Amino acid sequence: MLTTLTTLAALALQQTDTTVPVRSGARLEVNNFGGEIAVKTWSRSAVRVAANHSSRDRIQIVASDQSVHVKSEGGRHGPGTIDYNITVPTWMALNLSGVYTDIKVDGAQNEVTAETVQGEVTVLGGSGTVSLKSVQGSVTLEKAKGRIDLNSVNEEIKATEISGDISAETVNGDITLLQIESANTEANTVNGDITYDGTIKDAGRYRFSTHDGDLRISVPEKANVSVSVSTFNGDFNACFPVKLTGKTKHRFSFTIGSGSARLEVESFGGDIKICRPGQVSKKESDKDKDKEEE
Amino acid sequence: MRDQWTDRLSEYLDGELAAAERAALEGHLATCAECGATLAELRRVVARAGALDDRPPTADLWPAIAQHIGVVSLPARRARRRIAFTVPQLAAASVALTLVSSATAWLLIRPGAGGPVAEAPTPAPSAPATLATAAMYPDKRYAAQVADLERALERGRGQLDTATVRVIEKNLRIINRAIREAQSALAADPANSYLNLHLAQEMRRKLELLRQAAALAGARS
Repeated sequence: MLTTLTTLAALALQQTDTTVPVRSGARLEVNNFGGEIAVKTWSRSAVRVAANHSSRDRIQIVASDQSVHVKSEGGRHGPGTIDYNITVPTWMALNLSGVYTDIKVDGAQNEVTAETVQGEVTVLGGSGTVSLKSVQGSVTLEKAKGRIDLNSVNEEIKATEISGDISAETVNGDITLLQIESANTEANTVNGDITYDGTIKDAGRYRFSTHDGDLRISVPEKANVSVSVSTFNGDFNACFPVKLTGKTKHRFSFTIGSGSARLEVESFGGDIKICRPGQVSKKESDKDKDKEEE
Repeated sequence: MRDQWTDRLSEYLDGELAAAERAALEGHLATCAECGATLAELRRVVARAGALDDRPPTADLWPAIAQHIGVVSLPARRARRRIAFTVPQLAAASVALTLVSSATAWLLIRPGAGGPVAEAPTPAPSAPATLATAAMYPDKRYAAQVADLERALERGRGQLDTATVRVIEKNLRIINRAIREAQSALAADPANSYLNLHLAQEMRRKLELLRQAAALAGARS
């Protein structure tokens, strides 16, 4: 087994730049207390780690057959702020974490796990399990496929051109899911709008729920779906004719086609709008209105 | 309005009706929108309950909750071949399961988890189960778990950045407001299954956020 341990003590310099070879299947693990983790890809079977940091910080790169582990030690002063620019093979799985850290990934083609407390998470690519979390930052994902898990607390979640099962949850922020190819999607927020523009597949399951926000959901013309709508203080509006059944004070349903898929849309205090794909994105005027309200 | 088939829907859902009864009920469903809606409700509740985290609790919270919501005791359940839950019971059970699941998550992650857990005092017998009982008056353990987590968070708040604390507190206020609004709506419409499930969801979310915050504080200490 090839094991390489490289410890770089950048006592006087504030830059680290080193490249280590990796074998197929290895995973990148990076933990950064504060700063940024930016990962991009190349075709080489090697990982290049470039970092800008204080001379007090020591960057450790531990490489084995299974993983490349990047971390730092700040000595008696504690961990400092480090900006990593890391280049990895496209096939490499990524496990990135931090506290006061922005995380950016561009071009991943394998699993991505990214978790931070105060910082934004922005990922382009990813397949298999893609799990992105931030407490106090937005979460953005584009062009990924697989099992997608997106989680924030105080910011919005955006996902575009996604294929696979999607779970998105935040407390105080909008959730926007566009150009989605999914048979299983769930999105929940307490204080925010939810927009879904994507497929409704036969036998698929879709659930969108907010307490205080509007829902805009697309249903393609040829979809076969049973739709259940619940709202306590909001209005319902559809861009096409629907025949309501099972109507009660705050809940009703309708069926389109054979009804094999199930779509549940729930907003306690907001409006629910169901339209065709391409008609549900927030209008610029709505965005301006949101900004004024902020 | 209830008809002769309303109380057979859970048996239908479980596939336990005889072929003739099943055919008759399916014929009835084709013409009775109310039974169709009730069946859809049942399916939603079962699906939600089935989707819950099924990690086993370190403490068996079910007996107290079952008694609280009026579900028969375990020995009694064993004595019978099966129990056909009514819609309200299923909804209440769903809420209870949600709370148990969330509470369990906390029990699993809290400092010192894994040790013996003292038995909680048996709650006083309550009124027969309705849709509202479990959600509006959750088991005392839910409140206890929330209080425990809040204390853990308070102890660890010194470990967290003040901006993070502010964000957590702001979002807890948002969830608390949602819980209050759902409870208020439920008080006016106690049979509303949507409100019950919605309230349970917000309560679960509060526990999840508290758990997340406590874990963050714990990780930094």
